[in-house]
Amino acid sequence: MRECRVKDYFESSGGKKCQVIILEDVSASLGSNRVLEGITFSLDEGTFLGVIGPNGAGKTTLLRVILGLVKPDRGMVRVMGMSPVELKHELHHIGYVPQQVLFDPLFPVSVYDVVMMGRTCCIGTFRFPRKADRTAVLESIRAVGLSGLEKRPIGQLSGGQQKRVFLARALCLETRILLLDEPTSGLDIEGQENFLELLSDLKKELSLSVVFVSHDVNVLARYADEIVCINRTMHLHGRPLEVLGSDRLKEAYRCEFDFLAGVGGEARPGEETRE
Amino acid sequence: MMFAYGFAQRALIAGTIIAVVCSLISFFVVVRRLAFAGMGISHAAFGGVALGLAAGIDPLLSAGGFCVLIALGIGWFSRKGKIHEDTVIGILFASAMALGVVLVRLANAYNLDLMSYLFGSILAMKWLDVMIVGIVAILALSFITIFFKELLFLSFDEETATASGLPVKFIYYGLLIVMALTIVVAIKLVGIVLVSALLVIPGATASQLSSNYRGVLAWSLTTGVASVFAGLYLSFHFDVASGAAIVLVLFAVFLISMALSPRRRYMKRKLHQHVLRGS
Repeated sequence: MRECRVKDYFESSGGKKCQVIILEDVSASLGSNRVLEGITFSLDEGTFLGVIGPNGAGKTTLLRVILGLVKPDRGMVRVMGMSPVELKHELHHIGYVPQQVLFDPLFPVSVYDVVMMGRTCCIGTFRFPRKADRTAVLESIRAVGLSGLEKRPIGQLSGGQQKRVFLARALCLETRILLLDEPTSGLDIEGQENFLELLSDLKKELSLSVVFVSHDVNVLARYADEIVCINRTMHLHGRPLEVLGSDRLKEAYRCEFDFLAGVGGEARPGEETRE
Repeated sequence: MMFAYGFAQRALIAGTIIAVVCSLISFFVVVRRLAFAGMGISHAAFGGVALGLAAGIDPLLSAGGFCVLIALGIGWFSRKGKIHEDTVIGILFASAMALGVVLVRLANAYNLDLMSYLFGSILAMKWLDVMIVGIVAILALSFITIFFKELLFLSFDEETATASGLPVKFIYYGLLIVMALTIVVAIKLVGIVLVSALLVIPGATASQLSSNYRGVLAWSLTTGVASVFAGLYLSFHFDVASGAAIVLVLFAVFLISMALSPRRRYMKRKLHQHVLRGS
């Protein structure tokens, strides 16, 4: 399969799918600490990839490597056909939803203001938002189902609504790839379900490629097309049920897994679990 | 009328400019929680002033350089992540003041001059001082206007701001430097000991009165400028120290804002609903 390029999104690529993210034998360190070792995988356009692994497995670092914020010690990273250096100027195609936004609940911004922050780089320094920016922001807020709450101070929303605001902020650019770092942490089961339901709808509607990091296997099993399991090194890569049924998952986590049997759709026979 | 005098005019002009800049920075001090950093930098200025007195250079100049270094030090140590920001500030702030005490003793400069830096001497300003205040104000206001969106984003959610490719480090250090320079010129107005009030109270008062940054900025400016005016007037009228008068007016305005705050009313209503539901 060929690699995706940014221009593919604006020209017809003849309906052929391409690879948006390619990692080859990537190793990365935080300080002197090696947190990722020999990670190799690729993400096809329009795929929902779940990245699971225990706490401290290097999941967040993996996202930071993709974004070009952490320079790998070794290996190749390409996103939409670009190296991390070239990607610096195209970051508006990547939406990022961080783990837990540790903002002050009294921070004096409205829902609209927070989503507008997502367009900061597009508006440009020393410029006011133009009509296109305002339209994009309102459209994003509508897409996550928060219309009518634009003027509400962010601190007065519920946890689930706040997560939606951060999702809207990640979507209000020409977003092609969505990177989410445990976005549902702190939500109750229903909140998690709602968020993922919304996410998979948006993924279809906007034909996004999604990388969703979580330590919660159960949630991802239902919605992800593919799952990668990492714990410093990569342990598994495959369809949800295959990965979850594998003994190697326990190996990765080094503990027994208690996941709900029957979730995750049909396992497709004949497809080997890739490593 | 007091403002017929030249010194009073200079005080009023410089005071207004300082109030405008401090009130705007105050917004970021409050939302980004830089109050302690502001206090640390301003007290460290004592070391810088003493250095100037000992070395025979303009104390404001030496304090300016010294405070910028301290601000960069605070930023650098805390970004390295090995020590917490407040710990770094605590260390640098006390050490710089201790250095100041030693230098002042060595230079034999325990005099009126030193007192004017500790408690402000706005009425002794010369036109040159007013010009320096103006230059710093232009620098600070340009930085804040040019990078306002970026500063807001970074104050709210630094991680995502970084991920979206903003030059977060540059902007953060820029804010610290602008704050350090503003603190140094504001020392003329209220003195080393009281300058942090100008950086905290306008923003804190404004946060009580509005829940959107546009309103907070407007209230912060109003509070800062009005309090400096009122403080200068009262100090002239009752012949008390201008710095202390300004800070006391600011404090009074803050108390009033607490009483009037729509935010508190909102919280009360919430609490009330909660209790009703619970019963």
